[in-house]
Amino acid sequence: MTTPVEAPTREVSRIPLSPDFGWGWTISLIASVLMVLVLAYAIGALVFVGVGVWGTNVPFVWGFDLTNYVWWIGLANGCSLFAAILVLRRHSLRTAINRFAEGLALFSVICAGIFPIFHLGRPWLFYWMFPYPATFQVWPQFRSPLTWDFWAIITHLIVTTMLWYVGLIPDLATLRDRARLPMAKRVFAVFALGWRSSLRHWDFHQRAYRLVAIAVIPLVLVIQSTVAFEFAVTLVPDWHETRLPLHFVVTGLESGLALILLAAAALRGSLRLERYIDDEDMNLIGKLLLANALVAGYVYAGEVGVMVFADRYTEASTINRITGDYAGLYWGAIALAVVVPQALWFRRIRLNNGLCVLIGLAVTAGIWLDRLSIVVAGVQRDYLPSMWRTYAPTPPEWYLFLGTVGLFAALFLLFVRYLPVISMSETRHDEHLEGSS
Amino acid sequence: MSRADYGVMGEFATADQLAEATRAARNAGYRRLDAFAPFPLRRVSHVLGCRTEIVPVIAATAAVVGGGLTYLAEYWMNAIDYPLNVGGRPLNSWPAFIPATISVSALWLAAAAFLTMLFQCRLPRLNHPVFAVPGFERASEDRFFLCVLADDPAYEARDITALMKRHGAVAITRMELGG
Repeated sequence: MTTPVEAPTREVSRIPLSPDFGWGWTISLIASVLMVLVLAYAIGALVFVGVGVWGTNVPFVWGFDLTNYVWWIGLANGCSLFAAILVLRRHSLRTAINRFAEGLALFSVICAGIFPIFHLGRPWLFYWMFPYPATFQVWPQFRSPLTWDFWAIITHLIVTTMLWYVGLIPDLATLRDRARLPMAKRVFAVFALGWRSSLRHWDFHQRAYRLVAIAVIPLVLVIQSTVAFEFAVTLVPDWHETRLPLHFVVTGLESGLALILLAAAALRGSLRLERYIDDEDMNLIGKLLLANALVAGYVYAGEVGVMVFADRYTEASTINRITGDYAGLYWGAIALAVVVPQALWFRRIRLNNGLCVLIGLAVTAGIWLDRLSIVVAGVQRDYLPSMWRTYAPTPPEWYLFLGTVGLFAALFLLFVRYLPVISMSETRHDEHLEGSS
Repeated sequence: MSRADYGVMGEFATADQLAEATRAARNAGYRRLDAFAPFPLRRVSHVLGCRTEIVPVIAATAAVVGGGLTYLAEYWMNAIDYPLNVGGRPLNSWPAFIPATISVSALWLAAAAFLTMLFQCRLPRLNHPVFAVPGFERASEDRFFLCVLADDPAYEARDITALMKRHGAVAITRMELGG
């Protein structure tokens, strides 16, 4: 039977419904699950022994945990912001990118949330952060950045999940209708909530999707700035600065874009999705990342400019970050997050999947070095010379970090396997609009 | 158990056919219509008279109420019920109360939009008579459906079938409840 509208998204729905997915996926999943076990070990060691297993000590009270928290939340905010803007602009890039960008954001928030909870010292009491009528009659202290984090992460987790899920409902219905295995059909049916593609449903769905996207935009900007305020409200010379929110927003968005570029290039190559994530899409993301890297370069230059006019403690502290024990982190961040993306000036490189994966990895690693440079090298030259020490992470800190990378990879692999990585309904809608115009 | 008539469902191959059939059914006086398509079709839902303006109103109200409640809760806890002098700072330290206020306000906005959508669509509802229509699973992929419900005052199955056929329906099904 031939139909005037041939199903343009068959290829996408075939991926989650196929019984076999190849050994590459299985091996990757096993590797990432092993890393999740490492995460379990790291958390277990921390809870049973205590924060003494970490290398953190005065003045380095934040060390690796806050570095990784700030890094993950930056990735999440970057991906969320980008996805939400695409939804609101109805940009053609959204059909290719939104679904997995929202997924990346969600998995990053999950990883980010682990660190603030486990850096509490007594993580099992984390609910003290929530204003509940405790028998000892105290309330949370809302002037503390710790409570800001609590609300920011909880909200981010719920709103990002909603953005992802609202967009996913019609596609889950498609999978329900296409699935042949009764079990798969049942699972997709439950999560599709009985979506029946009524035009009435569609109108409300479009409204809700855009409204959730509207909620995301101020939210991620506020969260990313709040993360910066957590540094800025301290009296540490290198942190106590109003330029910090700008730095965090710009570099956070850059890391998110780099992650999207990385995932787009990897998915396109491995799942043969060139038709949905086409050359123009890659071209655009590459240009956006390049533009963002230039803004990051401007922010780094601005930091030096601010230092020139700052008091001598701030100046000494910033110079120490650039030339001191941890200078490698600072220069590594500039090399990986500002210099390497300059390769994206060339169209040939923007369209090369392998190079895009490498550039994405380089930029995310560069932003990680930037976070480490701020958190560790930033406090090394405080006002008290008796506190001038060095810090190095211990193995349990590394395990915790690598464990979250494994958790992220495992979640992403499961997502790629069992859910449509491209928004099928948006793709159909776009092709329909193109056909009728 | 007796079978109750639920309505007539016509299947169309293109969005244009669905749009024309819907307009014709509307002009013929039918009011209890529903249409199904694999993607949003504003011009058809416009004919069906679908209005969604309530969603942003509810969401904006929720955002204001949620943010306001959060600020008031912070103020009451930190300034009235458990005042704590931290370095002589004012008890109502409003700048420090802002991050949670904005976050929770965005949470209420998004949650209200999502829940309003579910309520207005009467979802979740896993069973529905339309799912029994043969071939209806293609409504989520590449086919378009128009349905006239039996509780329409002008309902007359034979006329509707003829109307749908005139507009190029490839299949027409009588839907029944129960049985």
